[in-house]
Amino acid sequence: MVRVLLKFPEKIASKPITAEVIMTQKVSLNILAAHVNQQGGEMLVEIPSDQAEKVMEEFQKRGVIIEPHRPVKVDGEECIECGACYSLCPVDAITFQEDYSISFNQEKCLGSTCRLCVDACPARAIKVVEYGKENIEGGKP
Amino acid sequence: MFKLKRTVDEINEKIKRGNVQVVTVEEMKELVESSGLEVAFKEIDVVTTGTFGAMCSSGAVINIGHTDPPIKIQRAWINDVEVSHPGAAVDLYIGATQMSETRPFEYGGGHVIEDLIKGKEVELRAIAYGTDCYPRTRLETTLTKDDLNQFILVNFRNCYQRYVCATNSSDRILYTYMGKLLPRFGNATFSGAGELNPLVNDPDYETIGVGTRIFLGGAQGYIIGEGTQHDPANGFGTLMVRGDCKKMSPEFIQGAAFTKYGTTLYVGIGVPIPLLNEGLAKKVSIRDEEIFTDIVDYGVPRRDRPKLGRVSYKELKSGKIVINDKTVKVSPLSSLKKARKIAETLKKQIAEGLFYLSAPVERLPLNVSFKPAKQTRDLIYVEALMHPAVTCSENDEIEEVARKIITHSVNHIVVVDEEGKLKGIVTSWDITKAVASGLKKLEEIVVRRVITTTPGELVEVASRKMTEHNISALPVIDRNRKVLGIITSEDIARIVGGKWHG
Repeated sequence: MVRVLLKFPEKIASKPITAEVIMTQKVSLNILAAHVNQQGGEMLVEIPSDQAEKVMEEFQKRGVIIEPHRPVKVDGEECIECGACYSLCPVDAITFQEDYSISFNQEKCLGSTCRLCVDACPARAIKVVEYGKENIEGGKP
Repeated sequence: MFKLKRTVDEINEKIKRGNVQVVTVEEMKELVESSGLEVAFKEIDVVTTGTFGAMCSSGAVINIGHTDPPIKIQRAWINDVEVSHPGAAVDLYIGATQMSETRPFEYGGGHVIEDLIKGKEVELRAIAYGTDCYPRTRLETTLTKDDLNQFILVNFRNCYQRYVCATNSSDRILYTYMGKLLPRFGNATFSGAGELNPLVNDPDYETIGVGTRIFLGGAQGYIIGEGTQHDPANGFGTLMVRGDCKKMSPEFIQGAAFTKYGTTLYVGIGVPIPLLNEGLAKKVSIRDEEIFTDIVDYGVPRRDRPKLGRVSYKELKSGKIVINDKTVKVSPLSSLKKARKIAETLKKQIAEGLFYLSAPVERLPLNVSFKPAKQTRDLIYVEALMHPAVTCSENDEIEEVARKIITHSVNHIVVVDEEGKLKGIVTSWDITKAVASGLKKLEEIVVRRVITTTPGELVEVASRKMTEHNISALPVIDRNRKVLGIITSEDIARIVGGKWHG
């Protein structure tokens, strides 16, 4: 499965693009998260690997912008392993180990489309890296 | 059988000789289970406990030394966090929850303490009124911990024996000192280390009291008494502690920020419990499944919040609990991993002869409980201030609604259905806007997501809703969303003026 973020700009947000792509490509698209508002919409989807390239192309043809999925990043230095984040995660990406260490599964994380854990971290160790800013240092105000 | 006893002096002698038998309290519990109480008591001299959690009633006293000319500080800030000046000229208290004036809710007193412990340089700014003996009126300087004469942690309430488990029945996310609580029981949080907690293992304070040497923030500190709100009668004992920050380690003491609540300090505390008698050995064998706490609904903003049930720390530590037949994930806010590490570290220090025990000179009080605040004003509920709402139906023309606003001289019209149930709200501003843009139908402008209140809600709570949502009135509804009236910011302003109380 390939996980990507689909961004629907304002002018195409009201069109049934996803339905079209699903029907024409006969793809079982797994929608993990979706948000729509006046400014457009975004959707986190999983596409079966063998159809990924073609499906992404079909979305792009219809004006959808494709961005890589951005899971949250945990700063191991700052994290105090309290677990305040654990109960907020809707997809069980945050779990406890036997010794009460906290492990974080990037594969499961809904990242930029969810962010529920980000402002709950007392140590401010959880961040979502904005697209295109991965290499900019800092991030602290 | 019960004759065998040891004293703190005897244990210290063994520490000195290097043959003290010390285990963490978790190891002790397992030993009691596998070998029995008698054997475990005979074998083990001391057990170590630990906890690492957000402890808001914490802070540090610093003395910065005298300037030339001298200053008697009136107000001061470190890294834009106001520090209080409770004593003479240059003593300051950095309170953990005091927030930065430039970065509130993100940086506060707890972070200042952490930064100083880490050896970072901080900026001090102070003002004074000036006296004959202290003529200076302004001071700006930078400081590190090496520049301070004293840098002493003095925490007036730490180490709660246990704490409640928090959840949220309301329909919005709550940001609390118990962390982020999702709506409709979406999650729960708890605090405290359960069977690892110091006070849980010596609930009658046989070995814990004024003068007990403890592990505090990575250094050796002392218990200086019971903490504020000490409530042993209800199983909520607390400690007041002090320790030298200059010797502490940022691994065990750390500033933190709870979104929309404020800043605090995570404090690591470990207390050694000498097994003076077999009774104590039995007490320290208590397990998580025997330690219970209440599940409390933080969705009700009152002092006595509704209790929804009881859970054991065993259930809490499993990560999932059941609330109203629904399985809910529960987050610890304390770090259980660090609590264990503290118990381990303290055990190692005792075994290596780096930490000696001290007997308390006075035990903590056992028969006190925590009183609520005296309030000289009666509580006022929405019921007392609400008045009938001017209503209209969804099908009304805008012109008609505008007329109602004028005749009743109000700013808010509540939209209801035939049964009087809430459908929406329109304000005079919405009407003005509609007229300006040529709209005719009410349904085009009505606000449907209405923030509401109930007759039994406190006026303070209703007022906070208005401030939060930047609105000036709340329809008052019953359980079936039937509109009973309305309360406006003008109604509330009238009581603030004092007229309500005559």
